[in-house]
Amino acid sequence: MTRPPLAVLKLPLLLLLAALLLAAGGLLWGQREAKEAETALQHQQTALNQARQQLDRSRQQQQLIATHLADYQAVVARGFVGTEDRLAWIEAVQLANRDAGLYGLNYRLMPRTASPPTLAQGLPLGQTRMELTLPLLVETDLTRFLDALKTRAPGVVRVQGCRLSHPDNASFEAANRPHLQAECDLLWFTVATATEGHHE
Amino acid sequence: MIMFEHRLLLFATPRQIGILDWRPGHMHWLGEFPASAEGLAAFRKIVVKHARLPMLLVADTVDEDYRSEVLPHVQGHARDELLARKLKQVFRNTRFTGAWRQARETAGRRDDRYLLAALPDAEWLTPWLSVLHSERVPLAGITPLALAYQHLLEKLREQSSHTLLACRLNNGLRLSYYHNGLLRFSRLIGGDTPTQLPGNAADEIAKTQLYLSGQRILPREARLHVLLLDPTGQLDSAQAQLNADPAFSTRLVDMPSLARALRIPDDFLAATPEVAPLAAIAGEVLKLNLAPPELLQPHTEFRWRRGLHAAAGIVAVLGLGLTATYWLHARDLDDQARQLAQQYQQFDSRYQAIARTFPTQAMAPEQLIQTVSLARQLDSAQTDVAALLATIGQSLLAAPDITLDSLNWTEESPVSSGEVRVSLDAGLTPFDGNYRAAMQRIEGFMHTLQAMPGVQDVSLRSSPVNADSSSTLSGKTLNADVADAPAARFSLSLLYREARR
Repeated sequence: MTRPPLAVLKLPLLLLLAALLLAAGGLLWGQREAKEAETALQHQQTALNQARQQLDRSRQQQQLIATHLADYQAVVARGFVGTEDRLAWIEAVQLANRDAGLYGLNYRLMPRTASPPTLAQGLPLGQTRMELTLPLLVETDLTRFLDALKTRAPGVVRVQGCRLSHPDNASFEAANRPHLQAECDLLWFTVATATEGHHE
Repeated sequence: MIMFEHRLLLFATPRQIGILDWRPGHMHWLGEFPASAEGLAAFRKIVVKHARLPMLLVADTVDEDYRSEVLPHVQGHARDELLARKLKQVFRNTRFTGAWRQARETAGRRDDRYLLAALPDAEWLTPWLSVLHSERVPLAGITPLALAYQHLLEKLREQSSHTLLACRLNNGLRLSYYHNGLLRFSRLIGGDTPTQLPGNAADEIAKTQLYLSGQRILPREARLHVLLLDPTGQLDSAQAQLNADPAFSTRLVDMPSLARALRIPDDFLAATPEVAPLAAIAGEVLKLNLAPPELLQPHTEFRWRRGLHAAAGIVAVLGLGLTATYWLHARDLDDQARQLAQQYQQFDSRYQAIARTFPTQAMAPEQLIQTVSLARQLDSAQTDVAALLATIGQSLLAAPDITLDSLNWTEESPVSSGEVRVSLDAGLTPFDGNYRAAMQRIEGFMHTLQAMPGVQDVSLRSSPVNADSSSTLSGKTLNADVADAPAARFSLSLLYREARR
């Protein structure tokens, strides 16, 4: 087919060009619409997954809270959570000494330090060392004192170690006078709360 | 190949021209116009009205010439030039000529076999063509009526090798010879000839057979199959005469069969028998075109325009289709996103409802659980001091000559396995200065300790005497009865695995 003059085909060529432009424009617009919709769908899918996970987690938390809330409130009441109550601890050792019928004691509370990470497990756990020195008549006085302290202790306390010795190296006398001395290291544990952390 | 398009078919004879408006499955006879001033004016009106439609002119005239030629096989521009030279050589200055490459020889040089055709005296066409040219009508071509009849044979499924179609139309008898379905020769015997007599029609057919045989167009031994087609029925009686001759076989084509083959109504065909060849060729590709190139220029432009319009339409439709597909896909995605958003709202409201039930604690629920767990862990596993003292005491009872000076125990870690490190300082009393015996007694005490439950890893941290070669050793020996003999002091270390409560 021989080609006719270009002038004759001007209008059809313009129509073809317009159709090409229309098609290209439509395609680009359609692709952009589809891509935007796809992106929005992906975002929505991600948000939905997160919401689903959050809901699942909240259900688990709800169950955990229902199971452990009473225990938590108990440890809060004991003073394990929050600021340390040093006066209560001093009172506790004094009362334990009295309950055990001992002869007084000397105490020394150190500044609170952070517990080792292996023990804290991510919690803001702190520990306060209390050094006790108390005279004893017999070795079992120490066990009685420690049992009494366990009863009286308002928080979570552990006996890290004790030393029993004869301070004066005196010979045994049949008199009601203590000739043994116990030196014990206690660790009082407390978990700081967020509000407490902010105050500090 | 059927061209699905709307077109006008012009059936031109020296006396008149008829117009058929055709499109696939539909046709309409627009009328006949005599070759007069009035007829030409009426024809112009119709043409102007349909000037945008392509038109094909089918010429039915006595003045037509056919020639079979075998030419070398060439292609492209060389073929065009070869055919132009050949047409000029055969038909000299005839304006309406054309060549149709019908087949290729199977032997020898494998030349091409052509049918050359011409309308030697076609002045009668000029007024009609002038109208078409002045209105710039896209004339697709000019073709002889015999070619239209070839397509009619195809429609009638006529498959004889040597076929002679005798067709009576407009008071004329056209005899066309087809070899293997391809046009080889045709002649029109005008209406003034005595073909109105049936016997004469048979004679004309016999003469034509002789002519074809004489020109070696028809092999001498070939039996000619004659198709008789006459809407007026005047050729019916010729059939008996032809059948009497063994050189012929005949078939009379009646109008209903023809109408069925062409798929046109019987009454329409009966009223206008001219539409039969036009309907047969209407949807076919034109094989033999006698129109000179200058007359075909508007059609070329028409085809380019139509092609570009079609391309534009296809591009637009495809573009719109794809755009619509993308848009629908986007809407589908939007719907999905909307559904997800609704689900998100449901999940979030459920979460909010659950979160409202959480106690207003200062720490997260996980930390709450952890805190309880840690408190339990720290509360448990306290050193059983009484058990430790009892263990040490029992060991000392078994060794009355050993005096305990101090006892020290330390918990390795609150989360240890329950072991405490115990250190004890003691002395041997009385001590007579015999360190060998003292060491034996200390070792005995260590064995006693080691045997106690929960005790392990008993070791001597310091002994009464340091017999190491790298240190100085001094002292004095004592008598056994010395009363104030000093004690032999030593230190032990052990691990005690306490009983956890």
